[in-house]
Amino acid sequence: MGALASYLRAIGRTVLSVGDGLAVTFSYLLRAPVTLQYPDRMRVPVIELLPERSRGMLEVDLDLCTGCAACDRACPIDCIALEVVKHAERGRLIQRFDIDLGKCMFCGLCTEACPTGAIRHSHEFEGGTGDVRALVVPFVDAPRQPAKAKQEPPPAPKPLGSILRARMPGPWDRPRPPARPEGGEHAG
Amino acid sequence: MSPELQQVGREEFVLNMGPHHPATHGVLRFVLHTDGEIMRRAVPEVGYLHRGLEKLAEAHTYAAYVPFTDRINYLESMFCNQVWSMAVERLLGLQVPRRAEYLRVIACELNRIANHCIALGSIAMDVGAYTPFVYLLREREAINDLLEALCGNRLTYHYVRIGGVAHDVDEGWQGKVRAYLDHLEPILDELHSLVGGNEILVRRLGGVAVICASDAVGWGLVGPNLRASGVDWDLRRDRPYSVYPELSFEVPVGRGEQGQVGDCYDRWTVRVAEMRQSVRLLRQALERLPAGDILAKVPRSIKPPAGEVYQPVEGARGELGLYLVSDGSPKPSRAKWRSSSFAALSIVEHLSRGLMIADLVALIASLDPIAPEVDR
Repeated sequence: MGALASYLRAIGRTVLSVGDGLAVTFSYLLRAPVTLQYPDRMRVPVIELLPERSRGMLEVDLDLCTGCAACDRACPIDCIALEVVKHAERGRLIQRFDIDLGKCMFCGLCTEACPTGAIRHSHEFEGGTGDVRALVVPFVDAPRQPAKAKQEPPPAPKPLGSILRARMPGPWDRPRPPARPEGGEHAG
Repeated sequence: MSPELQQVGREEFVLNMGPHHPATHGVLRFVLHTDGEIMRRAVPEVGYLHRGLEKLAEAHTYAAYVPFTDRINYLESMFCNQVWSMAVERLLGLQVPRRAEYLRVIACELNRIANHCIALGSIAMDVGAYTPFVYLLREREAINDLLEALCGNRLTYHYVRIGGVAHDVDEGWQGKVRAYLDHLEPILDELHSLVGGNEILVRRLGGVAVICASDAVGWGLVGPNLRASGVDWDLRRDRPYSVYPELSFEVPVGRGEQGQVGDCYDRWTVRVAEMRQSVRLLRQALERLPAGDILAKVPRSIKPPAGEVYQPVEGARGELGLYLVSDGSPKPSRAKWRSSSFAALSIVEHLSRGLMIADLVALIASLDPIAPEVDR
């Protein structure tokens, strides 16, 4: 009889505590949803929601780069390939500045080492690509002279991400799936 | 009856659990020697996620290794950053500014709450309740947003640096953290009615896989797993570091509420109680945050004098230690990580004798091991 009573009491407790839990779950019917349906049903693009310090994919403004290679030395995993050559007539030339975004671990050590702010983290993060080689982004088209450390007047700052977008085919170029009508059935 | 048939049901059945199994928390493998549902023993097989992080330390300068410490344990990167920085600071004899120490405490305690959200969520999920995991993930998401605003990344923070921290905080961010803490406390009560007090969870965890205090100490368990067994030991209080002595908090220990001291349910309750203590610590740290520098004067090239240190901190999973040897060059001579997940896994074989397979899942979840931290 005792065993049966404790068995029944356990069932009772289970029903009550499950009811407790369900009360919490059902209370969420009345609260505002927090889920964001990324990527196709965002009201604001995610990139505009990111905080200022957000470390996205790297980009290099060659109008600021002095070719000092501080970033190259600071990088723990050698994802920056920087070649500066000496030309007989034109002096020092930046011949190559490639960043392998597939290797990059977004630590920010290069941006902290850069004396002029030429290399910086954009907020871009949607770098999905079908070919890993597409993640190596070249920033130098033809050998060019490095910038001076102090320029008067300083060149106009370029909008964050604009340099990278111009150089890397990314999801921003691909056709998006048509946005689903608002208030329709749940996605997926 | 033929002799072959007489043997049926007597031999041991060897079953592989993992390396890809939803209940093994990453790439972990357990070799189960079972007799029906009952296990004779479960042997953890580790090494699938070995990335040679200790060897990598020897190839990088002290400052350049900090982002690698993020990858040791992706759920408590802040503590890994901190322990590396503290070890190097001790080798250098560097004094960290007080504001930086407070910011470290704030960042680390936020990280601890985020980690426990995942730990509790996965315990509930592994014993069959999916909803709490999603609810807790939502809470962790808010911390990820706060930490991203603080240091620029959601998981691999690279925030605590040698000599201080990377970024300062403003009033707006502090207000957001306070608002979050006000939001979190009722959520913890809600968690109890959602799942913590649920009879099914209590039955699945209470009295299961009991670790007695002497076993816990003997196998080197640390942190919440050790405290759940009733051992009152917390490095923040007992080996004080940073500014923890200035802050008041309690160290929750397991009391055997639903069975015995040291069962899976105690490991659950200790983590919930620790989240409340973290909230308390955060409130105090935000209130007392002094003005001043956030980074000490660190030499451009860090070359600690030859010597060795062992630096532990109380991470989210307990004692996270680093043994660091310097030979006076810009690169460490040897770095050895003492990770809490490795200790937690080593006790599994001892405990698994006579356990049901389903209870092994509860045990693994309640020990909260993280595969990358086990293998490093």
